[in-house]
Amino acid sequence: MRRLLLVAAMCAISFGALAGQNTSYRQDAGWRAPAEAVSRPNPLASRPEAAAGGEKLFKRNCVECHGENGSGLAKKNAADLLLPEVQAQSDGTLFWKITNGNTDRGMPSFSRLPELQRWQLVLYVRKLKPMPNPQSQDPGK
Amino acid sequence: MKRILLVFIFLAGGGRIQAQESPYFVTYDHHLEEPGNLELEVYTTSGIPRSGQVAYVAPYMEMEYGVTGRWTSELYLEGQGTVGDSAVFTGWRFENRFRPFQREHWINPVLYLEYERTSEATRIQKEIVGGGPDVTSPNSELQVTKNHELEAKLNLSGITHDWSIAANFITEKNLSQGEGFEFGYAFGVSRSLASLASGNACRLCRENFLAGIEIYGGLGSTEDGFSVHNKAHYVAPVVSWQVSDNGSLRFSPAFALTQEGSPVLLRFGYSYEVRAFGSKLAQLFGGKR
Repeated sequence: MRRLLLVAAMCAISFGALAGQNTSYRQDAGWRAPAEAVSRPNPLASRPEAAAGGEKLFKRNCVECHGENGSGLAKKNAADLLLPEVQAQSDGTLFWKITNGNTDRGMPSFSRLPELQRWQLVLYVRKLKPMPNPQSQDPGK
Repeated sequence: MKRILLVFIFLAGGGRIQAQESPYFVTYDHHLEEPGNLELEVYTTSGIPRSGQVAYVAPYMEMEYGVTGRWTSELYLEGQGTVGDSAVFTGWRFENRFRPFQREHWINPVLYLEYERTSEATRIQKEIVGGGPDVTSPNSELQVTKNHELEAKLNLSGITHDWSIAANFITEKNLSQGEGFEFGYAFGVSRSLASLASGNACRLCRENFLAGIEIYGGLGSTEDGFSVHNKAHYVAPVVSWQVSDNGSLRFSPAFALTQEGSPVLLRFGYSYEVRAFGSKLAQLFGGKR
């Protein structure tokens, strides 16, 4: 009976994690990187192999809110990183957002990670596959 | 029974540690606990005696909870055991840290306010103020006096070239006795041992280690004068190792720079993070948070 309860609880936790994708995510209009940050290039752009380290960092630091595939958990109000409007942001913008966070909206600052590790995260976010987002075509939303 | 089992499942499997924890034991940087997460930490401070002193071990437990993105609360329970004397519960502390600014700046202030209900036998030395703790008197004598104390800190920290630099300015007021205001300080620098993360799953990779150094001590009081002389001051290398996805170990030997206090403090710590603790607790009791 206890074993059954254990399995049921683990299934419930796993289902809860999978069912929480944040398809309704809307960006915080006030969370904007300054111009000098937007234009910063990724110093690891010529080292795509560094994305493997980025994946490890992503799993350690980001999946809690953004999910294993980056689609974002609704209950965390986390960005769906697959959305075209997220992927369209410059490397410098993503780096700035990882560095500064948006603490009032639940996104912590990851400035404690070394700078190159934050750029590794940007590399890995670029490897997430963008999905078409029909809702973003609706100007009324 | 079912609830206990569920709590165990959450604690055992529900966590992933966030950006690696600071390696410091005394110094605070500007990073707070993530909202809704609970960090359970156990530490010990062991005093290696000089002539005329006896060795002691002062364990303490810390429960740190992220109330919001800019407000973290912590509860401490502490004790102390002295060789040839006794083991005693020395009291509790409740601290709150507030981060006034949302964005990262080159210096990031954090305001710290703590209430302490501890006896004179406290030796965890989470901070050192005034002249430092009494490490010579017997516990039976020290336990008689229990104090209400308020402590405030201004914690400033920033990141430059991957180095974390932090400075804390401490003032403490004993509300039970007329000791005036006592002062102390702590400075720390640390960094990760690797700039790039390797792609391998490994426990001994350099990116799992943070190393640095702390300097902390007392600065006297309004009663006996603001001074660094005849006060306890320590310099302490610090290292932390992220041993699992949700646990990290810390170690620091602290060496006294003066004849006050213990000549060497050995500090060990282990922290374990439970993510989304608040939500899980609410769900467990029927809430929807």
